[in-house]
Amino acid sequence: MPILQVEHLKKYFPVPNGILHAVDDVSFTLDAGKTLGVVGESGCGKSTLGKTILRLTDPTAGRVVFEGKDVASLHAKEFHRLRPDMQMIFQDPYASLDPRLTVRKLIAEPMEIYKTQPSKAALEKRVDELMDTVSLASRFANSYPHELDGGRRQRIGIARALALNPKLIVCDEPVSALDVSIQAQVLNLLQDLQKDLGLTYIFVTHDMSVVKHISDDIIVMYLGQIVEKAPAKELFRQHWHPYTKALLSAIPIPSLHNRPNRVIMQGELSSPINPPDCCRFAGRCAYCTEACKSGKTPPLSEVAPGHFVACHRVREIQDIPAESACAERGAPNGSPCHEAV
Amino acid sequence: MENSQNVPVVKVDDLVIHYETRDGVVEAVNGVSFTINKADTFGLVGETGAGKTTIALAMLGLLPYPPTHIIRGSVEIGGHDIEKMSPAQLQKVRGKKVSMIFQDPMTALNPVIPIGDQIAEVVMLHEKVSKAEAEKRALEMLQMVGIRPERYKEFPHALSGGMKQRVVIAIALACNPELLIADEPTTALDVTIQAQVLDMIKELRDKFGTALMLITHDFGLVAEICNKCAVVYAGEIVEMGTVEDIFDRPQHPYTIGLFESIPSLDKDTERLKPVKGQIIDPTDLPPYCSFYDRCDHCTEECRKGDPSLVEVGPGHFVKCMYAKKEGN
Repeated sequence: MPILQVEHLKKYFPVPNGILHAVDDVSFTLDAGKTLGVVGESGCGKSTLGKTILRLTDPTAGRVVFEGKDVASLHAKEFHRLRPDMQMIFQDPYASLDPRLTVRKLIAEPMEIYKTQPSKAALEKRVDELMDTVSLASRFANSYPHELDGGRRQRIGIARALALNPKLIVCDEPVSALDVSIQAQVLNLLQDLQKDLGLTYIFVTHDMSVVKHISDDIIVMYLGQIVEKAPAKELFRQHWHPYTKALLSAIPIPSLHNRPNRVIMQGELSSPINPPDCCRFAGRCAYCTEACKSGKTPPLSEVAPGHFVACHRVREIQDIPAESACAERGAPNGSPCHEAV
Repeated sequence: MENSQNVPVVKVDDLVIHYETRDGVVEAVNGVSFTINKADTFGLVGETGAGKTTIALAMLGLLPYPPTHIIRGSVEIGGHDIEKMSPAQLQKVRGKKVSMIFQDPMTALNPVIPIGDQIAEVVMLHEKVSKAEAEKRALEMLQMVGIRPERYKEFPHALSGGMKQRVVIAIALACNPELLIADEPTTALDVTIQAQVLDMIKELRDKFGTALMLITHDFGLVAEICNKCAVVYAGEIVEMGTVEDIFDRPQHPYTIGLFESIPSLDKDTERLKPVKGQIIDPTDLPPYCSFYDRCDHCTEECRKGDPSLVEVGPGHFVKCMYAKKEGN
């Protein structure tokens, strides 16, 4: 039974020189207790997607159905009742905590707003419990955020998100501000909490190794659209979309052995403002043809059970390495032939 | 030819640097020594606050005094101790012999000067050339880092992060320095752009024959371009050697812990093995091994004294009581 259904979700922002398509027709479903990883580069719309799902910003079109209720169409009062079920962990533990509140106050705040605890004593007790849950020593209860390091601050953010017993948590780059040795601690904590409390996560990140580790399913976004969607293990075993291939091969591997063949993508993310109707990756794609540049946006099609790819040429190009695709089109040996639009 | 490749470009010897702050003395660098040869790409790896950037700034004589105090040690560039140089002499070293790429390309460029002029500026400062010649060199550098010459007159704000970092690299290499220090050069960039920039750094390094020191927290980058590497913890080198030493036969518990806390892309792990505890407070370092509190293998023995850096194999150094000779 899916806890969340996202249907044709769009979020556009009017900007001085046009319409910025931050999220453009994104659909997926997410089962309770699972983790959906959302990956992509800066500007691909992954954070906006997370915020729109939680209705921190209203969608331009499309539906977000959480436990059977269309989140966007709820009235303020009804939505207020739903909010405790859907929480968020923010990226920057330095910017997302009020510097003038103590740790105890910060964690108590959501419960005070929602009046979930009958008495002051119960509130205090619940704060202690939460600090224990996220492994924050009680000696920090009266400290201010600036006195703590990034890892501990992020634990406060997690405790705040947990305070109202949510069902769904959107984690927006929760570990990217942390050092690797601390990052591993926080990732383990998030996994333990999921197991113990039956949480559902949407995990937004640009870090492919983190997303592989924590997700059940992964969607790869490019300029506001999903280009590939698959179970996590499957995606890393077999990826079809030329963007996913380039993205995965660009990750520096911390080992001297089994180094992957690198596909260096030319150019940079093109503009999300008034994007063309055609495939948005066409300008950077080694396999792009005239048809890709003039046709419609390719729809997501199922290439293997549960594995969806949005590419016109997905079947033809699977076995052609990027270099030979470029060579075929007359580029000198080894040099990429594609350029940014 | 072989010989000239082993000429040391930079020698850092027993460097100790403290910052004096209101909350006490921050012991940022505690006895760091290393040598970078002409043919080396040296990776300096560590987490936030390990002292990596302080070491780099000291190598350029850029640390502000106060609050910084260089307690002891020396940095020799091309055989000259930079401590003994006058500000004017240092000025000639910076940008000419040693240059630096900073982490954040957004703040490393002057927002009100066209990018081309910013490159020409370095050339004019260090070489006796006319303005026209300097501009010609700037144009060449722009092309070399993959920016079209038409963009010479553009201002930094018109460029993306990756493009800005290319300009910073062009400035750093404009005078063909002997050593390039790159402080987290790709941390602010997306992974596909990072791959482009890294490739370019590699290419230019080989073309100019520049020695490179890469400061990073990412072992992936080290594997990508370095031949030697040092792991820094609490202002000390805890392990140093060739990349093969560090990646294939690491010995220090911190090095091993760092590798284990990175989620793997080619293996499926259910649970990560983080290094326990928090990064040590540099205002309050113990007289014994500073990794003691976070180490899974520590014993009472470890509290009795601070271990020294021991050579366990040719060129492979480990700072641990329990370091073992290789091959035994």
